[in-house]
Amino acid sequence: MHHSNVYAVASKDIVFESFDGEAVVLDLSNGKYFGFSDSGSAVWQALSSGVSMQALTGMVDAAALEAFVARLVEFGLLAPSDAPPQPLPDNLPAALAAAKEPLNVSIHDDLADLIIVDPIHEVEEPLGWPAVKQAS
Amino acid sequence: MPRVTMASLPDYARYVIAAAEASAAYFPITRTIRLPGLELTAHLVPGALAESLDRAFIEAEGDQVDVRHLRVFIGHPGIGDLPEPAHWGDAHFTEHGFAQKLAEAGLRGLHFHDLDFWQLHDLRRHVGVQLMRSTDAFPPWEPGSPLRAFLHWEYAARGMRLTHAGTFGLDGKGALLAGAGGAGKSGTVVAGLLSGLDSVGDDYVLVDLEGGVRARPLFSTLKQDPKGFARLGLKTRLGADGPLNWQGKHTFHIEEIAPRPIPATLDIFALMVPHIGRGETSSIMPMSRRDAMMALAPSGIAQMPGERESGFRFFSDLTRLLPCYRISLGPDPEEIAGTIADFLARGS
Repeated sequence: MHHSNVYAVASKDIVFESFDGEAVVLDLSNGKYFGFSDSGSAVWQALSSGVSMQALTGMVDAAALEAFVARLVEFGLLAPSDAPPQPLPDNLPAALAAAKEPLNVSIHDDLADLIIVDPIHEVEEPLGWPAVKQAS
Repeated sequence: MPRVTMASLPDYARYVIAAAEASAAYFPITRTIRLPGLELTAHLVPGALAESLDRAFIEAEGDQVDVRHLRVFIGHPGIGDLPEPAHWGDAHFTEHGFAQKLAEAGLRGLHFHDLDFWQLHDLRRHVGVQLMRSTDAFPPWEPGSPLRAFLHWEYAARGMRLTHAGTFGLDGKGALLAGAGGAGKSGTVVAGLLSGLDSVGDDYVLVDLEGGVRARPLFSTLKQDPKGFARLGLKTRLGADGPLNWQGKHTFHIEEIAPRPIPATLDIFALMVPHIGRGETSSIMPMSRRDAMMALAPSGIAQMPGERESGFRFFSDLTRLLPCYRISLGPDPEEIAGTIADFLARGS
């Protein structure tokens, strides 16, 4: 059964750690880092552990939450999940009440990987350079 | 020219390593280098890399316990049966996918496409190969910290980490200086050394977290751009006759400016992130661990092949173990060194 508004960490390549309540996420597949504001850290930790968006209603602005989740999905950090929603952590309301910064996630990709393409030999034969051969 | 794909990568690595081992008798030079807990034996040929191996390391002294042995062959076609280095033959190359494929087979590796330069390592047998087109066909950064990838793989497997950070210390205690290039890391380390502080390295140091955070020296190379070289008085002290490196920087060695022998270890009590300040004096302020982690981890992980998740966890643990500070650097090297010396004296 699909539980709308429940998300999970998008892949095993997404790893994260928390520092005094502030989250840092690394996408191992491409070397991109993500830093969260204090409220963003609390919401990330809730959503990534399976708390539904509905459970956060009233604690954060609904439109801001929608936009924040959309960014996390766009960045490949979260994906919709079929798992049943998990209970709200006891400390989350207090963490959000104490937060001083708006919901935000920033991307740090200046040291991210370059994807290297061999331009001469890996082309679609009919098209030739520079059309890159698609994975079959 | 052979081509390697993701599917054939582990077989290629084993083939190259076996060819190097079978050709061992054809390498004219053997160097043994004693590093912390690791004895590195390199088989190679005369040239710039052989010269860099003679100067780039800070060797461990005295008796050591739990010493592992690592053999690395540094060669090119024409030495025994060493083959031509292969091209990469897949449409896409990702660092992470490359590392994962090798790790599944107990192997580690690095490939620098422009030169068909390979570093391949059998972690279980502690044998590695650096295969090049010719004696001097290596990336320009290799002589400054030669074979660092092999050291990275060996130490990471033991829960330690080559860490991209500067260090300074006093009476055996010290601080790590983390941050991206251009933040003032190297200049701060050199200013400290010239003012009588200790350091165990500026670019890559070995860190372990066993019983606290400790940093040990590996590489002796220091770098400064011509402006910093002159500002720090190094032009007068060391001369400026040598060629600049690939980054346009002067390179020199820590023992040329250190006030005393390089300590075997520093007990690290703080993580500091420098930036060039606008004030006349330097200042040190607490900073969040999240921001310190973002200064420390990315370059340390990006500049070392493979071991990404273990690196992320290691640097997270390190950051949690230390108080974190932002140091705003003033314009005067002596004043910077004095500020740091005061900080170290308080921390000791």
